Amino acid sequence: MYYPEPIENLIINLMKLPGIGRKTATRLAFFLLNSDESYISELSRSLTDIKDKIRLCSVCYNLTEKDPCQICSDERRDRDTLCVVEEPSHMMVIEASYPNRYRYHILHGVINPLDGIGPDDIHINELKLRIEKENIKEIIVATNPNIEGNTTAHYISEILKGSQVRITRIAFGIPIGGDIIYTDSQTIKSSIENRKDL
Amino acid sequence: MPLQKDEAIVLTKKAYGESDRIVRLFTLSGGKITAIAKGGSKSQKRFMNTLEPFNHIRIEYFKKQTKTMARIENADIIESNSGIELNLKRICTASFFVEFADKLTKEGERNIELFNGLKGILDDVKNIEFTSSDIVFYLLRILGCLGFMPNFNTCVQCGRDVPDEDKVFFSRERGGILCPVCSQAIPFKSYPRGIIRGLSSFVRGDRCNGDLDFLTYAQDIMEGFISFHLDVEIKSYKLLKNLI
Ligand SMILES: [Zn+2]
Ligand SMILES: [Zn+2]
Repeated sequence: MYYPEPIENLIINLMKLPGIGRKTATRLAFFLLNSDESYISELSRSLTDIKDKIRLCSVCYNLTEKDPCQICSDERRDRDTLCVVEEPSHMMVIEASYPNRYRYHILHGVINPLDGIGPDDIHINELKLRIEKENIKEIIVATNPNIEGNTTAHYISEILKGSQVRITRIAFGIPIGGDIIYTDSQTIKSSIENRKDL
Repeated sequence: MPLQKDEAIVLTKKAYGESDRIVRLFTLSGGKITAIAKGGSKSQKRFMNTLEPFNHIRIEYFKKQTKTMARIENADIIESNSGIELNLKRICTASFFVEFADKLTKEGERNIELFNGLKGILDDVKNIEFTSSDIVFYLLRILGCLGFMPNFNTCVQCGRDVPDEDKVFFSRERGGILCPVCSQAIPFKSYPRGIIRGLSSFVRGDRCNGDLDFLTYAQDIMEGFISFHLDVEIKSYKLLKNLI
């Protein structure tokens, strides 16, 4: 037994969303079916808007409505330093801790040969050009501390060899409020290697 | 359902939900398994980051007969992947062999030789820069572990010796060289004798650093053979190929 075609189509489209199975999709479809006309038109407008209005900033590859993005046009931010991150969501996390401090460069991925993703598939070459063009003094490589993030960090430092830019990597260690007991040996090693004088 | 204790090489990882991870492992005694690791609690988070590709780990897991996926209870590093991230060629090489072993084995397939072969390659990738001939050499070794070693010595079809001519016929389909008689019925590509001899010495374990000609031909033979026997693409190969 199938629902009428428009409902069935909606269910199938909702099922393409991550974490949504047929049961949840059906529940959502019926919720929408019973919703106000105004909510439905607002929802469909916001759906088309994300494709029509959102694009990538031509400078930093942030998601934006106007180009260059708000962050790139913000004169208060440090001109000399760039924070290099994997995804826009990672930028938001750093931004929350250091509001209006840094400029960013968003790679949109990491080097991951197991998935067929190489340096040319992410915005690494653009980073190199940008560093020269904007005369950047330091880049903080804030990719995740896993094999893909570390590979990407090493690759970035490799292609910037010979340039004047200072390349720094975020530190890895025991999280604040964490517990040594629940820390794996690699993290322990990293936190000992990166220890600080008191 | 007893707790299984084993050693494993992590082949792939995939995030699952907010804090869980699904990994494919090649274990020493249990062969290839897919397993889920729950990262919800503090004590579970502790071993999550050991479940990274190319790590050699010690694991404890439960596997119900009725379930396709094992559940990881604990994991510890034996030898980390550290060193592989240092340059692009290293990670492409490691990825290529891991992906190759993954795509040529089935869930539950046991193969201690393959485990040891992979482990050896991952150890070497961390310490030496692989040349193109190293890659061919190790690829033959992995093919051997998988029981797919091409026959470079006698006719793969009839078993007779192949006469010592300038050109030798190689069949991708049969995975070996052909004598003139058999070559009339089976499609082949011909290669200079020296290439086949070189590959044959690789199979015996003699490493030689072939010249560029040798490597181009060797690559051609291996690529043809592999693409014939494998219907999925090895994603990392296209990246590795640009570097060798
Ligand atoms: Zn921007
Ligand atoms: Zn024959």
